[in-house]
Amino acid sequence: MALDARERILEATFTCVARYGLGKTTVEDAAREAGVSRATVYRLFPGGRDELLQGVIAWEVRRFFTRLADAVVDATDFASMLERALLFAHRAIRDHAVLQKVLETEPERLLPTLTVESDRILGLIQVFLRPYLEAERLRPGVDPAIAAEYVARLVLSYIGSPGGWDLTDPAEVRLLVEREFLAGIVERPDGAG
Amino acid sequence: MLSSTLVDDDLARRAVAPASRLTEAASGAERRVVDAALRCIARWGLAKTTLDDIAREAACSRATVYRTFPGGKDTVVAAVVSAEIDRFLSSLETRLGQADGLEDLLVAAVTHAAGWLQGHDALQYLLRNEPEVVLPHVAFRHYDDVLATAVGIVSPWLVPHVGPAEAPRAAEWITRLTVSYAMSPGAGLDPTDDQSVRSVVRTYVLPGLRTTVQTPAPHPHEQE
Repeated sequence: MALDARERILEATFTCVARYGLGKTTVEDAAREAGVSRATVYRLFPGGRDELLQGVIAWEVRRFFTRLADAVVDATDFASMLERALLFAHRAIRDHAVLQKVLETEPERLLPTLTVESDRILGLIQVFLRPYLEAERLRPGVDPAIAAEYVARLVLSYIGSPGGWDLTDPAEVRLLVEREFLAGIVERPDGAG
Repeated sequence: MLSSTLVDDDLARRAVAPASRLTEAASGAERRVVDAALRCIARWGLAKTTLDDIAREAACSRATVYRTFPGGKDTVVAAVVSAEIDRFLSSLETRLGQADGLEDLLVAAVTHAAGWLQGHDALQYLLRNEPEVVLPHVAFRHYDDVLATAVGIVSPWLVPHVGPAEAPRAAEWITRLTVSYAMSPGAGLDPTDDQSVRSVVRTYVLPGLRTTVQTPAPHPHEQE
């Protein structure tokens, strides 16, 4: 299956990146690690090494957000979903050995693609948020589509850059979510605000 | 990647002491070279701009350029970055001084910053053609430095309205929104448009801020 082969090659490429870095990983490395021929890699990634490296970045981004979605699956409402998301994402980024190593040694090879990917991810996050938003009582004048984009942008902003917040502290995360994410969007139970 | 340490040091320095300006390019030669370098970068980008190009554009000799910036291209670029950040922060201060009330302050911060970023020829050239030069300085922990610098500038303006405890967080919040909307615009919002930004500030930001008494003390700068 082409899909399986593509997936296997990307996974193998990730292993190579972990070992050699983005700059030094070659098509041959990926092929060897995946147990396929170079020709197979070039067939599935006609753009060669560049396409392969962009592919592995997109692949790991997708995996990260899959893990993130899994981490919040038990959350019962919008607030607790966001709290879990921020806590998980912060820790996952901090503990992501390959990401941290690439950021340290060759950020210029990662960040342009990551920026393009995160723009793409912004749309996916908005789609993910909609059902949560629609299950809440929204404040008057709040458009769910605009609110979803607003929240998605803010979530992305906090991933990787906590700024002045301690995102390991659930109490701080709760305060952050209440003030910056919810206050404008969700109707207070007593109708205030 | 060019001069990452020099630029990072600049931002880190500003994060710690944002009010103290770095030694400005005092001499005429420094100023001319920096301005010329900026024009070259806007035209050809960073990689393709040479010291010869800069010297020619500045109408001075290569020897002068080297004498003024002994570290070569890296130090010229670091000086350009520093000068542009100074220019931006100073223009932002001026704009904030014209705002009337908390909502206006927040809207002004967003529209001015977004307008400045989007209208900056050299920056836009680099983002389009050499993103690897810019992005590492505004991502992950370097973005924390950017946020800290912005907080240093914007926070004092917010203190009279939300108090000293909340002002830094409010400043960080508005900076995050500005950078997000300005750097990756979607169909959603034009961050340079007063009406659109005002709507977002009213709907999503103001409700999350605890405002203080109705007659705020004057801004520290105004008390001098």
